[in-house]
Amino acid sequence: MMKKEKKPALITWIIVAVIYAAVFVAEQVLPPTSMLFTVLKKGATYALVAVSMNLLNGFTGIFSLGQAGFMMIGAYVYGIFTIPVESRPVVYQYYDGGLIQFTVPVVVALVLAGLAAAFFAFLIGLPVLRLKSDYLAIATLGFAEIMRVLIQWNNMGPLTNGSNMLRLYPSFNDFNIKDASGNVTVYLSTLVPFLIAGVCIGLIVLLLNSGYGRALKSIRDDEIAAEAMGINLAHHKRLAFCISSFFAGVGGAMLAMYQTTVQAKFFTTAMTYEILLIVVIGGVGSVTGSVLSSFLFVAASEWWLRFLDEKQMIGNFEVPLLRNGFRLVVFSIIIMVVVLFFRKGIMGTKELPDLFRRKRKEAAK
Amino acid sequence: MSELDVKVVPDVETAGETVLKLEHLTMQFGGVIAVNDFSMHIDKGEIVALIGPNGAGKTTAFNCVTSVYQPTKGKIFFHGQEIGSDKLHMTPDKVTAQGIARTFQNIRLFSGMTVFENIMTAMHLRRKSNLFTQVLHLNAEEEKANRQKAWKLLETVGLTDVAEEMATSLPYGKQRLLEIARALATDPTLLLLDEPAAGMNPQETDELGEFIVRIKKEFDLTVFMIEHHMNLVMDISDRIYVLDFGKPIANGTPEEVQQNPVVIAAYLGSEEEVEEA
Repeated sequence: MMKKEKKPALITWIIVAVIYAAVFVAEQVLPPTSMLFTVLKKGATYALVAVSMNLLNGFTGIFSLGQAGFMMIGAYVYGIFTIPVESRPVVYQYYDGGLIQFTVPVVVALVLAGLAAAFFAFLIGLPVLRLKSDYLAIATLGFAEIMRVLIQWNNMGPLTNGSNMLRLYPSFNDFNIKDASGNVTVYLSTLVPFLIAGVCIGLIVLLLNSGYGRALKSIRDDEIAAEAMGINLAHHKRLAFCISSFFAGVGGAMLAMYQTTVQAKFFTTAMTYEILLIVVIGGVGSVTGSVLSSFLFVAASEWWLRFLDEKQMIGNFEVPLLRNGFRLVVFSIIIMVVVLFFRKGIMGTKELPDLFRRKRKEAAK
Repeated sequence: MSELDVKVVPDVETAGETVLKLEHLTMQFGGVIAVNDFSMHIDKGEIVALIGPNGAGKTTAFNCVTSVYQPTKGKIFFHGQEIGSDKLHMTPDKVTAQGIARTFQNIRLFSGMTVFENIMTAMHLRRKSNLFTQVLHLNAEEEKANRQKAWKLLETVGLTDVAEEMATSLPYGKQRLLEIARALATDPTLLLLDEPAAGMNPQETDELGEFIVRIKKEFDLTVFMIEHHMNLVMDISDRIYVLDFGKPIANGTPEEVQQNPVVIAAYLGSEEEVEEA
């Protein structure tokens, strides 16, 4: 019998543990306004959504562009069910305090957000998953747009607050533990999103490593052969679509917590493209790649490339071209370079444990 | 001989227990009749070959049996149960679940997976565990049993040394063997082989013949194969069906088919035609 290598898995666990410990320590030591935490929070959120998209696009071979739509559903469900009852008259000021007059715990709301997204995925999947490649992408894209308009519809106001924003629900900062006088004793506002994303991505990895994961990959590799091996295509595609949407919904709820407000107009097609970009840069078919590139992408767009949007002086010389929006130009160039010269992305289809396996083999030679 | 001259030869009954039965199978694509009024049967434990010139409709017949296509006319029975007709809505995965496994003429391995994973994937169908027990890895026993079974299958086809290689990095002949092993992993009772010896040299072809006979015994199979290597077909087949222009033009034991003038004409052209040319 084959022996399973234990060591790469162990190293991976150690790396993950170190990262979590580092995040926890950094949060206690550094000032909470540091840009690092913005990046880490948003990065964790995008990592989850990117991995969920990779599950569909990279591992099952279904090219869907509905991610922003499912995130929006998740964000709204989270917001709707967690705004404290006493704050509802303020938030729903145009709709008499709204329809729903109860709240559920945050964890329950997160699960509900996922379930709602999965439920819509199931309904949409019935007709849409019969389509192939580009047609499927267009149909899912259309769905996301329809949902965005529907949520802003005035008649939906008592539930979704129409085109007004949802706010005052628990955000990441509410996870900090405070003493009686309101001073923060333990900072958890970055660790908690890391934990949520970690658990969700862990579940996706477990799924990918199970028999079902292999079945999904077989559909990606060769639909005809997969079906001939007894894999029910419709059933497994729907399953992947619903699970992916579930985690996109949870990711949407996390984004709502990160932003502290939710508004439908924020969840545009551009957001889906951002996530698609993360998946492609990270490597289509690599969970590790998606996670890595999420943080890199968020860091670059929110932090490292910010200077491009402002006037910069070197001595007396004003650097030309730098003005609001130039960041996006540079970004586009980076993307083109990646797509042209690094088509496999950062990781290709490799995962974190594979890296150590490779090294071991080379060392043995 | 032109298409119109081809006469349908009826199936001949045999004594054994029928596993697969085709009744007047017809498959039409627009104006093209790929398979035309094809009746045949396979008895338990037989190796039956389907031969014919290129474009005769052999693979189309396979695709009808495995429900890749829905027949235009006719019926297909597996162990007496209807698995294909113009009315019955079947999908390939359901046919496989019934116990029919196949290989493909143009190899269709899962390219993004290792040899071992290819076999494991084919066992997904027979798993008892559900999504939740699998994701939470509560099915350790089943997983272990499956891994052992996959390893045994690799031993059967002699691919244990390349178990961790990517499937598509194997040489052609080994890919064919892997396809057979993958088909066996679905626990079939009837194995359909679509040109298993394509691209193999004579020695490999001989070995393949022995291999097919061996796995037939070991896994208690019935084998239905399409093949162009006549030596292989004549060596191991119990009976042969011949298709030409989609119509069955002959059937019988290898000796009978070899002597049949209609078959010879179909393959070589009739004497008159040769003279005319």
